[in-house]
Amino acid sequence: MNKFLRVTLAFLVVGLVVWGCAKETGPIKIGLMGPMTGPWASEGQEMKQVVDLLAEEVNAKGGVLGRKVEVVSEDDGGDPKTAALAAQKLVTQKVVAVIGTYGSSITEASQNIYNEAKIPQIANGSTAIRLTEKGLKYFFRTCPRDDEQAKVGAQYIQNMGYKKLAILHDNTTYAKGLADEAKGLVEKAGVEIVFFDALTPGEKDYTAILTKMKAANPDAVFFTGYYPEGGLLLNQKKAMNWPVPFIGGDATNNPDLVKIAGAEAAEGFAFLSPPLPKDLPTPEAKAFLESFTKKYGKAPASIYSALAGDAFRVLIAAIQATKSTEADKVGEYLHNQLKDFAGLTGKLSFNAKGDRVGEVYKVYKVNAQGEFILQP
Amino acid sequence: MEIFLQQLTNGLAVGSIYALIALGYTMVYGVLKLINFAHGDLFTIGSYLGLTLLTSLALTGRLGTTAGILCLALMVMGLVALIGALLERTAYRPLRQSPRLSAVVSALGASIFLQNAVMLIYGARFQVYPHDILPKMPVGLFGLYIPLVKVLVLVAALVMMMALYLFIQKTKLGTAIRAAAIDQGAARLMGIDVDRVILIVFLIGPALGGVAGLMVGLLYGQINFTMGWVYGLKAFTAAILGGIGNIPGAMVGGILLGVIEALGAAYLSIAWKDAIAFCVLIGILIVRPTGLLGERVAEKV
Repeated sequence: MNKFLRVTLAFLVVGLVVWGCAKETGPIKIGLMGPMTGPWASEGQEMKQVVDLLAEEVNAKGGVLGRKVEVVSEDDGGDPKTAALAAQKLVTQKVVAVIGTYGSSITEASQNIYNEAKIPQIANGSTAIRLTEKGLKYFFRTCPRDDEQAKVGAQYIQNMGYKKLAILHDNTTYAKGLADEAKGLVEKAGVEIVFFDALTPGEKDYTAILTKMKAANPDAVFFTGYYPEGGLLLNQKKAMNWPVPFIGGDATNNPDLVKIAGAEAAEGFAFLSPPLPKDLPTPEAKAFLESFTKKYGKAPASIYSALAGDAFRVLIAAIQATKSTEADKVGEYLHNQLKDFAGLTGKLSFNAKGDRVGEVYKVYKVNAQGEFILQP
Repeated sequence: MEIFLQQLTNGLAVGSIYALIALGYTMVYGVLKLINFAHGDLFTIGSYLGLTLLTSLALTGRLGTTAGILCLALMVMGLVALIGALLERTAYRPLRQSPRLSAVVSALGASIFLQNAVMLIYGARFQVYPHDILPKMPVGLFGLYIPLVKVLVLVAALVMMMALYLFIQKTKLGTAIRAAAIDQGAARLMGIDVDRVILIVFLIGPALGGVAGLMVGLLYGQINFTMGWVYGLKAFTAAILGGIGNIPGAMVGGILLGVIEALGAAYLSIAWKDAIAFCVLIGILIVRPTGLLGERVAEKV
């Protein structure tokens, strides 16, 4: 029996080694972690559409280093616990790098898992400041950071002449970080903060919060949370007959916001965001918009899916340039050698922390038809 | 004072929905001593069925707003009741003689099954009720702005709860339900068909849960497949608060929980709203372990 066991084990080991070697010439696996289900499902599903499309295009041109690219997507459900599981699954599937994810709290739950496994992670929507302040060697992001967002937001609030501001967040890594950052900046500029509190995401009735906020009598409300709650707030504010202007952070940038609020209630809502796909002037963006529309029958709606596309494109560029899928080489290339890469969302370079450099936030406003219009 | 009244009405509207869902938990617990964890998902199904029927049959267009909504509510109640009865048949009746823990596990399984079924059928994205179904105009009452829809939801919920209370207290069938809740064996000896009583409980509870789902859809416009979890948890808390197994208790508990939440958010902190509500729950359970109106000590689940 003992001998039999040993022989079996030996066969198993040999088999695994052979299989492992065979893998080297197989497809290059790139992980995609996104919220395919849950409250942010529309973001995750579009991320997958974009990355799948780009991978198809790469494969149609013969792949990278003579190998095909395979996208392995995992659902993080917009939930930190699910994300940790998804990250472990991707690690065991031996992906060479991971794209994603959208929410900052969700990214935070997966960061260390990838870093320990030496898998470069390129987040596409996680703008919370502290994600790149931890000194993680293999973490990058294609989206800008919240300190810059808060700056643009504070500037907008000053320009509009608001003197009393209410700030509402939802206690997530991103929303709390942005709220704190913005609070400090506008206070310095002499704006009085008359209300600062958090709502519980996932509920339906926010009238208690709106009533309390109304009593504080602000000139404007800055909501730093996500679009499902943003839509409900706008809708319920309208039902209360409260005409206060609402300003949102970049997580309210999703057409579902208007769908939930209704175009009438969403009109006049201003939010901060990197420029949307439709407002991008580069030839790469135009070509991308065209092929996306051709494949899926509609234009991409979210900036974060385009940023996921950029994460994929810089990754392919790094693998091609270094002729390797090793984390250290790819990471080193992204940190130091990739300069002004022509991305779908403008020029891309990363600094030593893994943050994207350059690129500014813009202010958008919702018009009467519920469309997002770039403000000059 | 004005703010207090405004917050009170906010709390009443939320609380009446909690109360409607809590009734389903408490009725099932009263008769079967089982926490029906799938109840929150029946609530979700109610809101999705409401959306499907509303958009596909265009009821409000054909029958006018009032008759259309009434007809829609009856259809949703009927369909969700049917699903509830089916759930009892498939998930709970085969386990009637097994240890109670098996039935609880079966309930959790049914909850996961139903939630994922909704996700697969309707998709994971938010679904949105048409915005122009109900008039959005607010009613001015003592200087307060209360959306008309909210008043209607509150009134409808109260009417349904009163009807249920009268049904349980005054009719023969209601007496049979009460009898089965006290002692199933004795009820059976008295010639009560306990299986039928359980079936009726599983028709009424889900019907109320389903119509609560429809109300949430009409009131807030936005529904998603996981919403049964939050509402189910709150309603379950409300049922415990009022004394689980006790029907007036569920109504009182639901409305009380809604009001505590709203006032806690108004005068203490919004972020701590749930913590405040649960502290009140713990406080009440320390003083009255059976809940506000409960008589018997709740048995272990």
